[in-house]
Amino acid sequence: MNKPHIMLPTDYTATLGQLLGSLNICSRESVIRQYDHEVKGRTIVKPLMGATGQAPQDAAVVRFNFESWEGVAVSNGILPRYGDLDAYHMSAGSFDEAVRQIIAVGGKLPNLTPGDGLFWSVNDNFCVPDSVYDPVSNPDGKQKLAKLVRMCEALRDATTAYCIPLTSGKDSMKNDFKADGVKISVPPTVLYSMTAKMEDVRRAITSDFKQADDVVYLLGETYDELGGSEFYALHGELGANVPKVDFGKAKALYTLVGQANDQNLIQSCHDLSDGGLAVALAECTFGYHCGASIDLPETGLTLPAQLFSESHSRFLATVAPEDVVAFEALLGSRATRLGTVTKDVRLVVRLGGHEVISADTDVLRSVWTNGPVNRLLGVASKENLSHSNSL
Amino acid sequence: MVRALILTGFGINCEEEFAAAYRMAGAEPTIVHLNQVLHGQVSIHDFDTLNFPGGFSFGDDLGSGVVLANKLRYRQTGANGRTLLDDIKQFIADGKFVLGICNGFQVLVKLGLLPNLSGEMTPEVTLTHNASGRYEDRWVTLRVNPKSHTPFLKGIDTLEVPVRHGEGRLVISDAAIQQRIETGGFNCLSYLDASGDGTDIYPFNPNGAALNCAGLTDPTGQVFGLMPHPEAFLSAYNHPDWARRRRQNPSATEEGEGLQIFKNIVEHIAHTRTAVASVTEFAIQK
Repeated sequence: MNKPHIMLPTDYTATLGQLLGSLNICSRESVIRQYDHEVKGRTIVKPLMGATGQAPQDAAVVRFNFESWEGVAVSNGILPRYGDLDAYHMSAGSFDEAVRQIIAVGGKLPNLTPGDGLFWSVNDNFCVPDSVYDPVSNPDGKQKLAKLVRMCEALRDATTAYCIPLTSGKDSMKNDFKADGVKISVPPTVLYSMTAKMEDVRRAITSDFKQADDVVYLLGETYDELGGSEFYALHGELGANVPKVDFGKAKALYTLVGQANDQNLIQSCHDLSDGGLAVALAECTFGYHCGASIDLPETGLTLPAQLFSESHSRFLATVAPEDVVAFEALLGSRATRLGTVTKDVRLVVRLGGHEVISADTDVLRSVWTNGPVNRLLGVASKENLSHSNSL
Repeated sequence: MVRALILTGFGINCEEEFAAAYRMAGAEPTIVHLNQVLHGQVSIHDFDTLNFPGGFSFGDDLGSGVVLANKLRYRQTGANGRTLLDDIKQFIADGKFVLGICNGFQVLVKLGLLPNLSGEMTPEVTLTHNASGRYEDRWVTLRVNPKSHTPFLKGIDTLEVPVRHGEGRLVISDAAIQQRIETGGFNCLSYLDASGDGTDIYPFNPNGAALNCAGLTDPTGQVFGLMPHPEAFLSAYNHPDWARRRRQNPSATEEGEGLQIFKNIVEHIAHTRTAVASVTEFAIQK
């Protein structure tokens, strides 16, 4: 497989809008609201948060009871499209996605010190095609089996790297469909569901920007990894450069983020996933009427890679101005300062002083909210109409 | 100690947070399966408040709250033909308090305990499917009707709470009944829009309720029911915007706004009891 030759967009604001309105990224609010996600009265981080009630979160956080502040964070990682490129990196990336979602909401990696009491567990849900070779009915069975082996090797590498135990799973191994002489097999897919104990749910971090003048950082490294991305999918391409997890670097970053949270240095944190940095920037403005002024660094990466690459193990975080020195001293080269949160409700992204994205964040939220899921399964909200009146 | 009886069973699922609310308010809650009350193993008269939590009792079959209401009205709790509704009538006549939240409110309405203008405990209004046609979990803002005199809402002006229901639309088919509800201020809670006015606009009014009404009391103020869930806002950290609010005001209380309703009723009962006790003492001294 090769990198595709696509017509590069001339207007990245329009591209961002297309991504926010696309099926895999758009708001699922109509589905979320039809499910009672607050019963028992202990939900601390819900799927949608902020004054608007429309800022998407990375993981749920629930208290155990009303007598203590201990609780559990719950996350999910799944990347079906990457399975068409590489079964190992699909599996490794899905695992990392679930881990970094818990780190984003303020969870801490377990087993860094003995007896830390931070219980984590993973459930795997494999969804793969029939992998038993048959010359007639399943001629590519050996290749399918090899992909399953690669998925399991990634799982071994991930669990040992992060010291997170597998506790259970429910696997579906014969996902093939036959009709009218045509056979369709699913791409190798795995969903990792993760739970992690939180010592104090009051220390949970939500994804939405909180206050103007907070400093915006990109944590982790961006690579030329647009393979399997939502950006390529917009152009009908799959690409080749599937994102790869560097477990050592990821673990070091997650440890630093945990230390930063111990010192209350992080005001908001959102993991980067579908749609990359540009989509994460937009989503972080959805909780309250605010914007962001962003200057991308000169890294040698192409603009589409900087904006839309889905490289793993990255976060978009904000830090209060008074905490910037301490935060930069702790994170060092792992944090790239991008800009600030603004009162002005515009997302402005520049590269080399030139605006490459400039959009009203209320309009971006409206595009995201009125995407295909809410249009199909619920009442699409009126433009710019807040779903809460606590603004 | 103020004692609160909280019913559960048959699909009720909000009894734990209901009990936690009373505990935080200084009362002693007891969670009991409805059958224990219906079979006479537990007497409601040993308690100060009778509470109907949210959930989906009897699978919402025949309409939310209908089956449970009929069980209370018709099922005989003993050989003498007595029903739990008879006991509830006595309970209210004794000056005690009844609270229904969400499915519990639906039960009280289907039972005729709310608004009970006639005093006959026959249904006068109803709660039916949301105007949106779907179940929804979302946060709303309520205003307390200043005409309302129920002790549950004393001192509260506005209140943020989640709604989580599919059948919360209040329908009042009789204009005379609506008139009496409004005159008495029994429509004790209304859904507010962003400018603080009562509204029929979705999603601020999440279900299209008549009078933008989110809760009712009976004329005595002893029976109170509401669609939203104050027991789901016992902690400040339940609110969708808690993180930004606590950043702005780090010393703000960690209590949720919903807890005040429970503190109100517990304080009212304890205060009334103290007043009665001191009158008695005074009489003895005399």
